[in-house]
Amino acid sequence: MKTWQKIKNNPDLLKTYFVRERVIQTIREYFKDKGFHEVFTPIMVPVPSIEPNLEVFETELRTSTGKKKRAFLISSPEYAHKRLLAAGIGNIFEITRSFRNEEEVSRLHSPEFTILEWYKINSDYKDTMRDFEDLFLKIIGEDKLVYQNEEYDLSLPWPRISVAEAFEKFARIDTETLLSEDKLLNAGRAKGYQVEEDVTWEQMFYQIFMNEIEPELKKSHKPAFIYDYPLAQASLSRPKKEDPRFAERFEVFLAGVELGNCFSELTDAEAQHKRFEADLAERKLLGKTEFPIDEDFIEALREGMPPTSGIAIGVDRLVMLAADTPSVSDTIYLPDNELFDL
Amino acid sequence: MITVNAGNITKGMYLIFKGTPHLVTKTEFMSPGKGSAVMRVKYKSVENGSALEFTYKTNEQVEVADVEKREMEFLYRAGDELVFMNPKTYDQASVPLALIEDQVGFLIPNLHCWVLWYKDAAIGVSLPPNVTLKVIESPDEVAGNRINAPKKTVKVETGMEVMVPIFIKMGEKVMIDTTSREYLGRIK
Repeated sequence: MKTWQKIKNNPDLLKTYFVRERVIQTIREYFKDKGFHEVFTPIMVPVPSIEPNLEVFETELRTSTGKKKRAFLISSPEYAHKRLLAAGIGNIFEITRSFRNEEEVSRLHSPEFTILEWYKINSDYKDTMRDFEDLFLKIIGEDKLVYQNEEYDLSLPWPRISVAEAFEKFARIDTETLLSEDKLLNAGRAKGYQVEEDVTWEQMFYQIFMNEIEPELKKSHKPAFIYDYPLAQASLSRPKKEDPRFAERFEVFLAGVELGNCFSELTDAEAQHKRFEADLAERKLLGKTEFPIDEDFIEALREGMPPTSGIAIGVDRLVMLAADTPSVSDTIYLPDNELFDL
Repeated sequence: MITVNAGNITKGMYLIFKGTPHLVTKTEFMSPGKGSAVMRVKYKSVENGSALEFTYKTNEQVEVADVEKREMEFLYRAGDELVFMNPKTYDQASVPLALIEDQVGFLIPNLHCWVLWYKDAAIGVSLPPNVTLKVIESPDEVAGNRINAPKKTVKVETGMEVMVPIFIKMGEKVMIDTTSREYLGRIK
């Protein structure tokens, strides 16, 4: 049955869909109160995010005079935001649509989704942890959450566990082993994982994380910030001053759901250019759509961007938790899986 | 040894996990963070009914349990066991309720189905594509716009609730798809 038919049969369902309005209004009010500017940046761009594992939606822009340009739907508005930060705009946030192609369609994923990003200047990822706690409590309205018949304790402060601590505590893997490809693969083999010839450090990292760490986080019935990722997973975050083997990045988890990903942003233009080159090479290797490096973004970084902490949040997941629905598509009026029969 | 690529695991398969047979109750394909794809599988142990979860790399090979199907008839439920009989030999078999919870709503006496065996234990049941069930409870009047073929929830003889068109009355028989649980038609 289509969503509109379900609603027509059972108008009570609208209450679930209306939760989205309230969540988005709460987010807006939260940032406006703090003096953040709400920005509106393009969702169609000439160069999308370069993240090697994300596939893009590509189209073509044609003018009446016959100009043809490659055009892409954003997978995140981050590059636009960082240009504005380099321009000196100050603290900003945006709630917008983003798109990811060739991804699984699951209870937590939809090819088109709503993303919240906010950037706070002169701050780092630890500040953003506190801001996220505040915002999430405002959205839920109390310091506990009942989701799918399980109760979660949201009282502050939420647990903060470094990646190294999590591997040590839940998987009995020390930092030296964690950071070495050979040692981590051996440890995985000893634990009984299948380790074929072509298994990478990253695959083993995630298999241990998902089988041994995530279930423990879920069992705690509390949210958790997992922070300080090995540098190989730095993405757009800066290395940690005290220990450059790790990067200042966190992900926040609740009820087995990853809600957001935060970086103390890398502001070094040359380092960023190097990572882009490596990412492009990996895209090629993975057979993903190729496109040029966003040199204008690098140019903006060269001009100087203040130290900034930025985070991307899956708004559909926030709505799903707030509305207590099993899947994000239960909170979207015309979800992709229904529209495209996926 | 027969194996399946972890990326192709689907609900309802019987696989060997840590040396013992497990029923796949749910699968979720995902690509975490920057990582490559994984398949998260929810299992139910065929030996003790306990639920657990494991995340595979999608290219891993997973051993398929050697499950055999035998045609039998459903007889009755006895506590936490469901009893089946081979109509030719009169041999009986019991399957623990915990292993076929999802399908219990289709089991009416004398239903022809296939009991699944692993080594010498009956571990599950494979149902025919559809089963005809009698409606025993139905709301009298349901408001609705007839153009949109609205549906209502009724209870059938096994206690299961299904969605049917609003013209279905108490005592009528309806054919239900055993996989999707959708209404297929009215049987006169």
